[in-house]
Amino acid sequence: MEISRKDFLKGAAGATGLLLLQPPALALAKESQTDAGVAMLIDVTKCVNCWWCYAACKEYNQLPETIKPDLAQPPALSSNVWTTLHPVKKGDGWVSRKKACNHCTEAACVEVCPTGALSYNEMGFVQYDKEKCSGCGYCAEYCPFGVPQMEANKVTGVAIMDKCTFCHDRVTNGEQPACAAACPTGAIKFGKRAELVEEGRERVATLGKANANAVFYGDKELGGLHVMYVLDDSPEVYGLPADPEAPPASIVRDVLKWVGVGAAVAIIAGFGLNYIVAREAKMTSELPGEEYMRGKKDEKKK
Amino acid sequence: MTEPRVVERFKKRTIWFHWFHTAAFLVLIVTGAILFFPGIGGPAAGGLTRFIHRIAVVFFVGAPIVYFILNPRMSLHFIKETLTWGKGDFDWLQAAPLYYFGGDEENMPPQGHVNTGQKMWQFIVLVTGVLFLISGFFMWFFKDVLSPGVFQWCVIVHDIAFILAFLMLLVHIYLGIIHPRMTESLRSMWDGRISKKYARNHYGKWYDEVAEDEK
Repeated sequence: MEISRKDFLKGAAGATGLLLLQPPALALAKESQTDAGVAMLIDVTKCVNCWWCYAACKEYNQLPETIKPDLAQPPALSSNVWTTLHPVKKGDGWVSRKKACNHCTEAACVEVCPTGALSYNEMGFVQYDKEKCSGCGYCAEYCPFGVPQMEANKVTGVAIMDKCTFCHDRVTNGEQPACAAACPTGAIKFGKRAELVEEGRERVATLGKANANAVFYGDKELGGLHVMYVLDDSPEVYGLPADPEAPPASIVRDVLKWVGVGAAVAIIAGFGLNYIVAREAKMTSELPGEEYMRGKKDEKKK
Repeated sequence: MTEPRVVERFKKRTIWFHWFHTAAFLVLIVTGAILFFPGIGGPAAGGLTRFIHRIAVVFFVGAPIVYFILNPRMSLHFIKETLTWGKGDFDWLQAAPLYYFGGDEENMPPQGHVNTGQKMWQFIVLVTGVLFLISGFFMWFFKDVLSPGVFQWCVIVHDIAFILAFLMLLVHIYLGIIHPRMTESLRSMWDGRISKKYARNHYGKWYDEVAEDEK
């Protein structure tokens, strides 16, 4: 097929524009069609603080055991801790939310990742490619849940992000994620997302008869999380933002990119116009190149 | 005695500094832009470019500091020149659109050692330099301490500084290298001298001062 020069340039310019700017909405629409429709449902009222999910995650993902988990001082998420508990003191006991990546459908981390290390996989989970990670830390800073973790070298800045993978290899082989498989009480449930949404709503309706604060979380947030929660109290109590959004700063960045590229195009067009004007216009200031060269010759003679 | 035909515009050390700083900035632009535009972010994988960015910034910040220490008076003069704006500058701003896009030079007021457009560039360099420095400093050394919100705004400030500096750099490069009538601009930053005629046409006020000094 013959491609004219003009068409080629048009195509190339368009492709470059898309490549540079990648409107996130476009990428998202494409990704969510391939969502396999599985998810996790965490029910805080069924958690007995046994830390088996924590231990199972460490064992399956071969993460070194460094801290003895303690409800009063729960381990923070880190490169070695992909899931932990967010315990809340209630009366004499503790009620805990299992905390890990929520695998958002519209994930801030994927949007801000400059190298494409973070992406959505075929099941709609947020996966990452360590080889592509630059360690910039934008994901860690933009995630509304504070999930991605990395330990950076202070001087070189070298770092590699780590977080929950939703046990992708297990799930694609028909198994449950390690944490869900280990949970003895059904506080962590893996299954079809639509069914879990149904189940979560019913559970909250039941709880709601005695407790007006009971709430179902994660169904609609950020395009729908792949980890949803049945909570007996407001989300903030369990360290979940009530209305999580991609942070405004990431929107500002997108706008800035468009403004920057637009201005650059306008300026370059201005150069074109100015070049023609400057060359054609009759001006008194003639091109003084020759005089300059004469000056240099005079200097050499001296 | 015959008059020399060339007027000194920049000192050798200034020229060295200019090109050294340019090289560092170009490295910073390339290693920074790949984090700004996700579509070209591939080369950042592994974190090497972020390390290079940090090496380049040491030179980018170090060079002006060294230059300042060695030439405090010239440096202060540069800053003063950049920040001093008078009626002539506003006349220039009014006349410039017609000059650049209409070829009408009638109302262009005679200029000092640098014209108002160059002053704007120097101003952008100083201001974005400070913005780059502060936001970058926090992102480098206080990443763990900063709250996510503050970090994000540091990134935004860095982005804005980049856009401003890069756009003005485009203009600087165009006028310095490509513009058909700024023929001695690049050479003046190479051997430091321009012809008297060029000086008279482009920097009338400055030329008069220099001519006065020579007498």
